[in-house]
Amino acid sequence: MAEIALVEAVNLALAHALEHDPAVVLLGEDIGANGGVFRATLGLQARFGAERVLDTPLAEGGIAGAAIGMAAMGLHPVAEIQFTGFIYPIIDQVLNHAARLRHRTRGRLTCPLVIRSPCGAGIHAPEHHSESPEALFAHIPGLRVVMPSSPARAYGLLLAAIRDPDPVIFLEPTRLYRLFKQRVEDTGEALPLDTCFTLREGADVTLVSWGAMLQEVLMTADRLAEEGISAEVIDVATLKPLDIETILASVAKTGRCVIVHEAPRTCGLGAEIAAAIAERGLYSLLAPIERVTGYDVVVPLFRLETQYMPSVARIFRAVKKTLEAST
Amino acid sequence: MNIFKLPDLGEGLQEAEIVEWHVKSGDEVEVDQPLVSVETAKAIVDIPSPQAGRIAKLYGGKGDIVHLGAALVGFEGEGGQADTGTVVGRMETSERVVHEAAPLAPSTPLPGGGLSVGTTAVKATPAVRALARKLDIDLTMVMPTGPDGVVTSSDVERTAKLLTELGPPEALRGVRRAMAQNMAQAQSEVAAATVIDDADIDAWEAGADVTIRLIRALVAGCRAQPGLNAWFDGRSARRRVLAKIDVGIAVDLPDGLFVPVLRDVAHRDAADLRAGLDRMRADVRARKIPPEEMRGNSITLSNFGMIAGKYAAPVVVPPTVAILGAGRVHDAVVAHEGKPVVHAILPLSLTFDHRVVTGGEAARFLGAVIQDLESAV
Repeated sequence: MAEIALVEAVNLALAHALEHDPAVVLLGEDIGANGGVFRATLGLQARFGAERVLDTPLAEGGIAGAAIGMAAMGLHPVAEIQFTGFIYPIIDQVLNHAARLRHRTRGRLTCPLVIRSPCGAGIHAPEHHSESPEALFAHIPGLRVVMPSSPARAYGLLLAAIRDPDPVIFLEPTRLYRLFKQRVEDTGEALPLDTCFTLREGADVTLVSWGAMLQEVLMTADRLAEEGISAEVIDVATLKPLDIETILASVAKTGRCVIVHEAPRTCGLGAEIAAAIAERGLYSLLAPIERVTGYDVVVPLFRLETQYMPSVARIFRAVKKTLEAST
Repeated sequence: MNIFKLPDLGEGLQEAEIVEWHVKSGDEVEVDQPLVSVETAKAIVDIPSPQAGRIAKLYGGKGDIVHLGAALVGFEGEGGQADTGTVVGRMETSERVVHEAAPLAPSTPLPGGGLSVGTTAVKATPAVRALARKLDIDLTMVMPTGPDGVVTSSDVERTAKLLTELGPPEALRGVRRAMAQNMAQAQSEVAAATVIDDADIDAWEAGADVTIRLIRALVAGCRAQPGLNAWFDGRSARRRVLAKIDVGIAVDLPDGLFVPVLRDVAHRDAADLRAGLDRMRADVRARKIPPEEMRGNSITLSNFGMIAGKYAAPVVVPPTVAILGAGRVHDAVVAHEGKPVVHAILPLSLTFDHRVVTGGEAARFLGAVIQDLESAV
């Protein structure tokens, strides 16, 4: 298997699922003949037919509604929402139906549905194309929310999401789509949906992040290492349900925690993680928890985009603050 | 030539009208420099250059309609970009391959890793830690009284008051400081096990030289089990069994613990050893022993019985793997040929590094030591 980019890993996982599970159906705007706005579904309609890779009208609510019906009736639909800015019309369908179908029918019906959407800033896009709405979805009971940070995790986590019996919101960091490549074996092996991934072990500070921000976080860890500061890097990956145990165990070891996310600060997932550490890990803390996040504004257009996004310099300063605060 | 095609300007528009070119053929342009203004059904948009380079050709003039995906600008140079889709904005694309170590999932904390030495092992709120810093109190020294062993602010204040009454602490220096470091390192690294036994030395002539006999017995032990006369590097898991026996002799002084080395004891007679030992002790007391005389022992002898104590668990300091402790010689009632008798007894304590020495080797070593000690001469 060759080295592939994240968007190609998504394509590979979708192809594997279509190939091995006749119940898998893809639907979305321009995903068929066009191959999707970012080419995530390139070639799949030609290979698996227009009955399994469906071009839909421009109506996100309809896409979600149709997918929920399919899922309730035994198919495993994977719907694509072209940009997260266009995802909000589906919230009614997802919150009121997909996420509570199991509960409403006392477990008789489940909703094995995946909704994929590119997300995040950093590609100089216009308004509505740079959002990070993961916390909105994580707040809805009954949903899983997943965001991969590498081609290998995109492949394994997407397969796990498709096989999961309940609805999964699968957010793909657009900035990573073609940023780097990784060797991915097309084995069909899924990754667990209930655990963080510790990308680097360290002793002095725990850096917690997910999605595209791990690029900046890993670069910061490199820069810290040059100063002899050893950072543990955790990719949360599955944002809901949250594997807080891995984070708590790491903070118990390092005593310091910096949470990094691109989404706006207020009520971002970083707040939930910080609260959980305050509740259960306070006695390990050597310094106050730091959050490095986007600001509480609409993601600005590209001239100011880099000012909005957490940078290596901002993360580095936050880590230094936790070190200065403690012996 | 590398052809830049009209990208999707978002909003699903299929064509645009050229309003004005901002560059001409032959221009050098930078990334993001505006190339052309086009008018769509919604707005006039500046299209930035996707790359740096020299413009080879412009496709179309003012007022022309350009369709989505049609050629717009030709740059000098070879090749074209991979089809990255009808992306709005600019997505960074690279062939860079990232090799990631297998993620550690789920993460498990290393057993004892860091916890035993760091202050995260102490349970305290950040406020209490801040107070401890302000009062210059090491939290590991504070006896906690809070629930689940949590250090409270009153614990810190109590300790601060106590330490103020005691006055400033003495900073360890020199030999005592080295002892603190060496022993802590030994404790954290070595898998120490201790075996104890007695040697019945009743057959000795009066005035026998205990230290010289102990050195001779050590040699007998090393001959029986050479594996205890060795150096071990725990990090690389490599050992060297040493032919020459250089005994480190623990010497207690007010300044701290000194371990000068008596070289090649297997090939020296008792008189030579005694002379060497006396010279060495005098040098240590005068503090004029050169540092190289205190390095490189292959095994260690601690004759603490000259002061007090029968048995101990002496500490093996890496890279050596064994230390023999000799306790106080004393009379004891022992069974001898089926009858209770009073004999002179020399208690022995052998600590060995169980990472590299087996219990059997250690016991046979101790057996050979005792056998040698129990002979009359």
